[in-house]
Formats: sequence, structure tokens, C-alpha cells
Amino acid sequence: MRKGAMRRRDFLKLVATSTTGAVLFTGCGIGDGDPEREFKIESPVLNPVDLVYGRDNWYATAAGECGLIVRVFEGRAKKVEGNPDFPTNLGASDARAQALVQEVYHPDRIAQPLRLTGARGSGEYQNASWDDALTELGNDVNGARGATLVITPPLSGPMGQVVNEFVRAADAQHVAYEPEDRVVLREAVRRVFGTDTLPTLDLANTNFLVSFSADFLHTWISPVQFSRQYGEFRQGREDVRGTYWHVSSRMDGSAANADRWLPITPGTEGLVALAMAQVMVSEGLVDRAVAERVYSGISLDQYAPDAVAETAGISAEQITELARRFAEGKPSVAIAGSLAAAHTNGLFNLTAVFALNYLVGSVGQAGGIILNPAPPFGSDVPGPSSGLSYTEWTGVVNDLNSGRYQLVIVNGVDPVYGLPEALGLREALANAGKVVALSSFLDDTTLQADLILPVHTTLESWGLIAPDPGPGYQAVALQQPVVNPFVDSRAAGDIFIEAATAAGASMPWPTYEDAVRAAVDSLRRLNRGNIEAADAKQYFMMAQAQGGWWDTTETADSAPNAPETATAAAQPEYAGDPGQFPLYLLPFPSNSLGYGETANLPWLQALPDPMTSAVWSTWVELNPTTADRLGVGTGDVVRLVTPRGSAEVPVYVNPAAHPDVAAVPMGQGHTDFGRYAKGRGTNPLDLVEPATESETGALAWAGTRVRVEATGRKVRLPRFEGQVPAFQLEGAPIIEVIPSEH
Amino acid sequence: MSPRWGMVIDLDRCTGCQACVVACQAENNIPINTEAVYLQNRAIEWIRVERYWDGEYPNIKARYIPVPCMHCSNAPCEPVCPVYATYHTPEGINMQVYNRCIGTRYCAVNCHWHVRFFNFWQPKWPESLQNQLNPNVTVRSRGVMEKCTFCIQRINHAEQNARLDGNRPLRDGEVNTACAQACPTRAIVFGDLDDPESQVAQIANTTTRGYKVLAELGTDPAVLYLKKIDPEAPAHGGAESA
Repeated sequence: MRKGAMRRRDFLKLVATSTTGAVLFTGCGIGDGDPEREFKIESPVLNPVDLVYGRDNWYATAAGECGLIVRVFEGRAKKVEGNPDFPTNLGASDARAQALVQEVYHPDRIAQPLRLTGARGSGEYQNASWDDALTELGNDVNGARGATLVITPPLSGPMGQVVNEFVRAADAQHVAYEPEDRVVLREAVRRVFGTDTLPTLDLANTNFLVSFSADFLHTWISPVQFSRQYGEFRQGREDVRGTYWHVSSRMDGSAANADRWLPITPGTEGLVALAMAQVMVSEGLVDRAVAERVYSGISLDQYAPDAVAETAGISAEQITELARRFAEGKPSVAIAGSLAAAHTNGLFNLTAVFALNYLVGSVGQAGGIILNPAPPFGSDVPGPSSGLSYTEWTGVVNDLNSGRYQLVIVNGVDPVYGLPEALGLREALANAGKVVALSSFLDDTTLQADLILPVHTTLESWGLIAPDPGPGYQAVALQQPVVNPFVDSRAAGDIFIEAATAAGASMPWPTYEDAVRAAVDSLRRLNRGNIEAADAKQYFMMAQAQGGWWDTTETADSAPNAPETATAAAQPEYAGDPGQFPLYLLPFPSNSLGYGETANLPWLQALPDPMTSAVWSTWVELNPTTADRLGVGTGDVVRLVTPRGSAEVPVYVNPAAHPDVAAVPMGQGHTDFGRYAKGRGTNPLDLVEPATESETGALAWAGTRVRVEATGRKVRLPRFEGQVPAFQLEGAPIIEVIPSEH
Repeated sequence: MSPRWGMVIDLDRCTGCQACVVACQAENNIPINTEAVYLQNRAIEWIRVERYWDGEYPNIKARYIPVPCMHCSNAPCEPVCPVYATYHTPEGINMQVYNRCIGTRYCAVNCHWHVRFFNFWQPKWPESLQNQLNPNVTVRSRGVMEKCTFCIQRINHAEQNARLDGNRPLRDGEVNTACAQACPTRAIVFGDLDDPESQVAQIANTTTRGYKVLAELGTDPAVLYLKKIDPEAPAHGGAESA
């Protein structure tokens, strides 16, 4: 710019702050001297949108339990919304669905096949061509017949079909990984409700809800579905506002919304449920015969509130009031999960709580717990299944260490991160002849691979998903690619089909897309559901447009009878002597990062935790009195010492924390997983002793005690708190609270 | 008649999940709030969820309130801008003209809700992540203020479509903000407060729970909150310190 020339900003300042402006504008004919019109300013953001050249398209697809629609502009995915038609979420979405676009365009996404050049775990790879990589995989599969292990998430639908075909052709073994508390939940649902599918709720018609540690609004099995119902539960009815109590040893994001939170001693959820049953039976509020059947073999009289109050850490009066409210506030519903399942007595906790629903007649009834039917797939297509328990994983690790597997193929899961270090899976994989990862990112398991085959992300993939839990009737979400693959990736299903073909199988479908189309065509032949079309082609297009298939009339069979054998009552057991390790170590799934599977996405790393508002880090939550006793405050770095190991993390003093608990979020502590996750924070599972749930053998990840030691160091804990002044003003509270509607 | 955009946020539905926060960031090209940005206390969230503690352990509660720009009719941020970069649209939106802003930050000082954010740094995305950016929304450069626009690009788009469709008025629900669209509990409702048929107007006109945050300042916010209901609330009727 020429020296001394007036810059545009200077000019604007001048005209805006001086009478010269009016003169100038008038002189230019702007506003014609009318002061009302003189300074009418048009924002460039209000310019006509046709200045943006391009075209929007919206495509329906799906992820997890949600139907989605995605805005695609000139071939690029821009924005994810909930599919208003899809029955589980009816247009709603959550932070994790929103962040799916960042998966597609992630800067550290694996862009082409990679072959290991250094030692396993070194992260040293060189590029390979797809032809070479697939030929290598085919040779490996043929050379490892009977000695191949396939690790995936629990698979249903066509993906399950394809993997099953591969497993048959390669004479392989297939195991599924999912968070261990889910393994306990599935077993509890099987025992109490007799189904393999997870149940949903009908909160829109519920009057009284009690959750035992299930963070159903943020992390537990289907939070979008339950959140949508929760809105109606609170404010969807003219005369009823649902009442919600939460019983847990940590106030999570759901408990924060409860009308009353009862902080219990960890692992005593089942005891409280039995005491509730005892009150309801002894006061004649429920049918004694049903209770005796549901809790057969358990003498409820032993579990009067007075007898369990001290152990549970809440008063007998609180338990009695809870029981009365539950019995008298029908329709009422009781759920349990997350931490309740993660103790050595997890199955007892869950079954004792779920059985309460039979006492008040809310199984399969409006406002109660709604069982889901099996998916509408044929008998050759797998339905919902469970992941391996920790005990079963130790068998896999032993097999790996004995050299049984020459080839390990991992797809869609990161068990090296998700299972505790104590298992030794990382070391065991070193004993496999070869590890092949079908993965988009260099996560902890992929980092152990000799060959990495990059796969499509969710928004680039075909799929047919039966949501688990479904909406209470048969529903299937159709996942379709909304954009072309951003990198040189392939569909995982196609890679399995190719490998199966190399192993000599005659696959019924040339591509995974064909497998999905065949599965949709099998839905067409059912002659029911939401789609009406003249032929198969039109039917498939309609399914794509609507985002799936559902049949509201196809519900689960009428509520099964209450179980005849209850799970025996059990006390939780903890690794570590209480004298040496005075606190309970309670890891918990993160609201945004879950069990760590989304830690690579920056929007989710940057999303404040609902309780602490902390971001981008791992912290330990301590009660103020506990923190005082230790002489630490927020930001002070402490050493968490368990019988398994130690880690240093900053403290967050949480006024709602149980005084005997040190709670640490899961999600961080990845070895790699891209620039946003690498080397960040701590994985609390590395501190956990491998105690297992007594009946299922699942990992009791809340079954370890901990000692907290001050280190004298202090850091600034990154968090949202303090970014803006936020405090209640006397007489003008920011959040106004009233006791009732009127 | 032009619409008067407004919002109702039901605190009895809100669960603090923050789907709205990420939806807003995705829609409006908000820079990634890195760890360094948080440590500088310079995080940008056009809509945020504040958490307040109420009571003491064990009788303690956490309460949530989503806070976007209030789009005050009598906005204190508007008259203090020396270059008229912040102004009020005829449709009731408190708007920021980015290429007019010279970064004095007077507006942020004068906003009692702290919903105006200054770009202390040039926003940066890795090249591949730029593919996600919304082409309808300007990326704000270093040195300018930015804030919630009620997703003006969506409003413009809908209004243009309505003009092309026989110059008809907008229908209720035809335009929605990103936060309201994502909200899984339907705590956030957006629409034309002057359209008596609109859902937002019907709630605003019939509710017995409505209140405006810092209403006594007389700025007439366009965001109406519905009070949280808690049968066991302490008698003082409000949550305590943040």
C-alpha cells in the first residue's frame, strides 16, 4: 500500500465516528440524507447464497444405532444430521455422529496399503500397492489354514455373513471384541428377559425411572434413542412430568439430571435392588408370588433396608422411599449398566435390577422396558452376538503365545487399547506369524500389524445394520456411501470377500455392496414394512432414500415369564488391600470419547466433559474432603498407585465425587491413533488388575483399589470452566429452578 | 412481514450432552479448540453448555444451561462498535459483519452473556480437514469478532427457496439452526416469534416457565429459557456457584 494512503479500515472508522461520514455518504448520494437510511448496513453474510457455486445433496445413511442424513456439497461430506424418518433417533443426533465427517478427512488417515519395514510397534511402514497387498493377504490366508484368527466387533447382517464365509473358507477362528461391561449386560438380558437383543425403553410413557449406574443419556448402549425419549419423559405430556432417580457411586452425566441421586458404595447396586424388592413385598405393594419367582433362591428377608443400608452407604429410609416410589409410580422402569456391570458381582447387580421390572409389571408394557424382536434376517444371516469375556481373551492370548496362530486379521476394533495391559495382548500378537489390520487409523492394535489395509470410513461404506437395541420393533438401517472414498481405501467386506475367494471359496457376491443388496432384497421378499415398490431396483432405491427398513407391527413376543432362577447375590471384590489402597478406582466411559474409539477426532477431544468440563486430557476426580486430606487441589498432579502399576494425572476436585472414589475417564492414553490422540493422557485400564466378573468371566474394570499420592507438581488442567465468567447472580440466577410446573 | 427469529431452550429437557456444541462447530466453521487454546482461555463456542453446581455432597446437583447469543433487541454490543460491524437485522438477528470488524472488542466487553469471541489467531485446519468446511459460511480471519448468527446461511437459503417458490412466506420448521436440529431431547426450538402458528411462538406464548437470562438489564433477549423443574430444589430457587 502506498505510504500515507488511507486504509479501508481507517476510512470506515472515520466515516463511522465523525460527522464527516454523514457528509461523505450524503455527498455520495447514499441514504439521500435520510438519517434512518444513512447507516443501514448490509452484512456480506447476508449476500445471496448463489455466490457459492455448487450443489447440495442429502443422502441417508447410518452409524451405530442412528439413522443419519448427510449434506454432501460437490462431493464432500459437510454436515451430519439425524434421519427424521429412522425410528430409533427420529432426526436426533449426538456429538459423535456429528464428528463422523472428521473421520473422512482426518489428516492422519491411512491413505494406502502399508507394509511394515521396522520392528512391530515401531510404526515404520512403506507404501504398497493394493494388488501386491491383496496377493500377499491371499497367500497368507492359504498358508495359514486352520491357524488364522479374525478379530472384529460383534457382527450381524451381511458383514457377519461375509466374515462367516471367510472363516469357513480359511478354516479360521472368529472372535469379537466389545467393551467388557457390554458382555455382562448381554448375559443379564439373556437371563432376565430371555432374548439376545438388547431391550429399549418407553420413557415417553414412564412415570418413574430409576437407573443404577447406567449413563443412559450419554454413553450407555443407545444414548440418542434414550435422550429423545427423555425429552418426552420430562416435558412431552400435558399432566405428567416423569420422575427420575439415579443410584450410583459416581455422578455421571445422566445422574446429573436426576431428581434425586443416591450415592452408594461401589458395587452395591444389586443389594439396593434386593432391598427395594424386600420393601415392596413386605409392604404388599407387589405380588409376592412374582417376587419369589423372580428372586427364587434368594431370601429377600435378609435384605431389608436396615440390613443393607450400611453396606450400600445410603440410609434405610432412602431405600424404602425409593421402593415405594417405584412400586406406586407405575409405569415405572429400572435399568442398570456401565459401572454396575463392571464389578466382580456385575451380573448379580444387573439381573437384580432388571428383575425389578417384573415386580411392577413393566416388562413389555407401555412406559416400561420394551424387548426387541430378532432382526428380520434369514437364518443364514447372523443376528446380535456378544464379544468375548476377559477370561476367553486370556485363552486367545495363551493360544497366540503358544504359536497356534500364523495369521491374525483385525478389523474395526482396537483390543490392544481396549483390554487392560495386564492381559498382555500386545506382547502376544508378537507371537503371531503375521498380523494384518484392516483399519483407517494407526491405532494401538494396527500399530502391531505387518500389513495394513486401509478401509473406508463410516460415511464411505455400505452396510445393513440392525440397531441393537432397536426401537421395540424390527428395524434395519441401510448404510450407503455418501461420498467417494477420500483416500485409496477399500471396503472391509470386499477385502474379506477377496481373501475368501483366494482361499478357494465360491462367494455368493462379487462385492460387499452385492451382499448388502441381496440382504435388502430378502427384506423385500418379506412383503411387509415401510417400503412399497414395484420391483427390486425401485425397492432398493426407496430403502436408500428412507435410510432403512422397519416394520412397526413386528414386535417381540409378549413379555416372557419372569426367570425362574435368579443370579445368586454376591458382594463385590477388589484387588488391593484397603489399608494400602484406600480408594476405589472407578474408570468410566467418556461422554465424547467413549471407551477410546473416537479419541482421534478433534471435535470430540475438545468437547467438555459434562461434569468437570475438562478437555484433551485424563484427570482424576476427587471429593473436596478427600482432596483436602491429601493436600491437593484442581491441577495438582497425583500418582495413582494400584497393585498393577501407577500413573500420574492431574486432579479435578469434583464436589459431587464420592469420598471413597477416585474416578478416571477412559478414552486417552493411546500410543498413536493420529496427532490428536497420540501420547495424550492415560488409559486407566492399564492400572486395572484383571479381576473378572464371577459368572461371565468379563473384566471387572471397576474392581481395583487405588492409592493417591501427591507429587508436588501442578499443571493447568485444560477445561471449559473459566473460559467465560459463569456464576449465579444473587437475585438473578442464570439457571432458574422451580419445584413444579405451576 | 419479515419474521422475528427467536429461540426457546427448555432446561427441563436439556441433559448437557453438548450435541448442539459440535453441531454448531460443524455448521459454522468454528476453529478447532486445541488444548493450547483452552489453556489460553480463548476457546470459541458460539453455543456452550454451562454447568452449575447446586448444593453440597451428598445432596448435590449439576445443572446445565446451553448459552448461545441472546440476539437482544436492545443489544448492548451494538452501539459500542465504532465501525458498525455489529448491528441488528430487520429479522431480529444480532449480526457481525466480519470484513467490517477492526477488532476493538468493545462489543465483547459490553456483552453480559460473553457470547462474542475474538479470533486471537488465524484459524487453521490441516489441509484435508478443510474439505469439511461449510462453503456457505465465511471463515473468520485473525483480528475479528465472531458469534452465533442463528445459522443465517440456513435462513438465507430457506428464504431464497421461498422466494423462488412463488414468493411465499417461510413455513414453520422450514429453517432450523444446527443446534436445534441436532438436540436429541428437543430442548432447543427455533423459529419465528411473530408467527403465532410457529412452535416457538406457541411455547413462548403459553409457557408458565419462561424467563430470560439477565432480563433485568432490559436488553430484551430473543432467547427464552424454560425453567428447570426440580421437586427437590432448594428454596432459593436457583443453582449456586459455577
